[in-house]
Amino acid sequence: MRSSSLQFRFTSLIFVASFICLFCIADVSAQDSITLGVVLPTTGGEAKAGQYQKEGIELAIKQINAKGGILVKEKGKKLPIKEIFYDNGTDSAKAASLVERVMSSDKANAVIGGYSTALGEAESVMPDRYQIPWITAGAAATSIFSHGYKYTFGALSPIFLLGTTTAEFLGSLVDQGKLKKGLKIALVVENTDHGVDYVKGIQDWISKHPGYFTVVLSEKFELHGTDYSGLLQKVKTSKADIFLSDAHLPDYITMQRQYLQAGLHHQIISYGARGPEADARKALGAGTDYILAALWWSDKLPYPQAQKFISDYKAAYGRSPDSWYAATAYDATRILAQAIEAAGSTNSSKIRDALAKAELKGSLLPGQVLKFGANGQADYPFLVTQNKPGDKVDIVYPKDAATGPPIAPRP
Amino acid sequence: MTASDYLDLIIKSLLLAGIYAAMAVGMTVIYGVMKIVNLAHAGFLMMGAYFAFVLFNRFHIDPVLGAILALPAFFLFGMAMHWLLVRWLPKSDTPTLSSLLLMFGVWLVLQNLGYMIFGSEDSSILTPRTLASVQLGNISIPLVSLIVFIAAVVSLVLLQIIFNRSWFGRSMRSLIQNPYAAKIVGVDDERTARLTFGLGTAFAGFAGALLAMLYSFNADFGRPFLLRSFVIIVLGGLESVSGVAIGALVLALLETFSVQVLPASYQPAISFALLVVVLIIMPKGIAGLLQRKLKVT
Repeated sequence: MRSSSLQFRFTSLIFVASFICLFCIADVSAQDSITLGVVLPTTGGEAKAGQYQKEGIELAIKQINAKGGILVKEKGKKLPIKEIFYDNGTDSAKAASLVERVMSSDKANAVIGGYSTALGEAESVMPDRYQIPWITAGAAATSIFSHGYKYTFGALSPIFLLGTTTAEFLGSLVDQGKLKKGLKIALVVENTDHGVDYVKGIQDWISKHPGYFTVVLSEKFELHGTDYSGLLQKVKTSKADIFLSDAHLPDYITMQRQYLQAGLHHQIISYGARGPEADARKALGAGTDYILAALWWSDKLPYPQAQKFISDYKAAYGRSPDSWYAATAYDATRILAQAIEAAGSTNSSKIRDALAKAELKGSLLPGQVLKFGANGQADYPFLVTQNKPGDKVDIVYPKDAATGPPIAPRP
Repeated sequence: MTASDYLDLIIKSLLLAGIYAAMAVGMTVIYGVMKIVNLAHAGFLMMGAYFAFVLFNRFHIDPVLGAILALPAFFLFGMAMHWLLVRWLPKSDTPTLSSLLLMFGVWLVLQNLGYMIFGSEDSSILTPRTLASVQLGNISIPLVSLIVFIAAVVSLVLLQIIFNRSWFGRSMRSLIQNPYAAKIVGVDDERTARLTFGLGTAFAGFAGALLAMLYSFNADFGRPFLLRSFVIIVLGGLESVSGVAIGALVLALLETFSVQVLPASYQPAISFALLVVVLIIMPKGIAGLLQRKLKVT
């Protein structure tokens, strides 16, 4: 009896020891790749943009892995990138917990995520807690980068700059004589830090350039709304000449549809960083013509690397990258790969330090260089595009990148 | 604001009430008879939208006709759903946790099926009438909203007639008023419940197909409408078809006019606040309050 109990204990001990060894082996084999956590919305309200970002990241990973991976000096060899993807379902709480999971349980060396501002804000508290670098390629509100976090990076220029670029472009239309001085603006923005920064950017430019424009209405709306008739009535009664909104894709489509149905007309319409998306064209047809958008990227950029990206993307997914979503995610992955190579290590702190100094030359983005500022956020110029009849989109600002003239006021 | 602006707002509120009534009526029918808070309603709305979309894209069937075709298709689907899942739920006079969980699960399954079949892409139906509007002086009335409003009124009237005139309607009413007495006098509660679930699902599919003319949609479509549908049926009285019309109108008027004096970002909070206020002050809804007043006088 006693001997069988001992035998049982011995067998159990061997079993537990083998189990632990198995884990050790698994862990050693895990170090033969670089684990990249990707947390994005591929379901829910932001599914569309999240899907494009995921595709951009996966295209970059595929290209890097096709070359054997990233050279990591301390390992003395190239390591492939292993992606661990989680869908946050456009839910802030889920987004934060998934980033925590990928950093703590999955032991990711770095994480890319954070589309959109609301989801990015929720995720941004995790990187410093786990000391693992996190790059957002889809959230640009200044608030995310104002907490002094060290492991948080953003591949999008600030929304404040989006606002000032939009106002600066409108100012240039006044200087060209296309718009009159002193026009009235109605500002209708989403009730997030994204919207707040956009308004600040517009008002900052207006306050520095008196006489150009006056803001007669400034309103916020909740994300993913279904009815804007009351709000649009307010816009109508404000008798504004210019209608500037800052909205996400679903809200842009719903609001523009109701705007047109209400028979409204303004000399200029813009929905911030939304405008040329194929979904909007599909839903509204010519109803999106002449809409202006200030963007982080456009497929009309003449850079050879941008054109190569478009053809690679088409070959991989059978369609063009819609608007800027995939391009910023693609470059976020590329700059991360460059930083890992510069760090020569898979140590997250070393990768973080290398990211802070990284400079991606040959970037797809305006200016062709992607680097992060002291607060971790990129700061490259915006482009202004305009939808034109026949599904055409032109870059209309800045002048040196323009592919066509701006049409203002709207016919 | 001028008088014309106010008139414009009233018309917009009426049209919005039509949309709200269309989306809430199916949920009311099911709650009234079966005491099931149908969280899968959002999934049925989404399926209705895709039903109209597929008919429009593949067979070039007008979405209005698609919505009408959704009625029999979703009626059968709802009956099958009842036979397969809902009939196993324990019978109760009040909503049960098991029914809530079942319908929530059904919604999640439908949503994920939607993602599997249609992907995360947004879909939309663009017809010549999508952006068209009827001009009434200075006021633009969106044509599709007008169509949805008319469809909502017709379906409410139709449902009221079914409720008042048919054998099935009388069975439904008797089960709403007193399920025990109804069974004693020979009402087949199982059969009535099956038909009721079919009818509620049919109206949800119909509403989804109509809403597809107004919004872009994906597998998550229906979620923003769920809370409003719930507010409307609570506001109108949980078991009353005419209450749905009242609830939809009150909510639409309040949402549209409140934006004129409050920041627009408070609009969603109005639904929540209204739900809380109604549940505290008049738990039987406006219809219940009116009935009580009529009895007193």
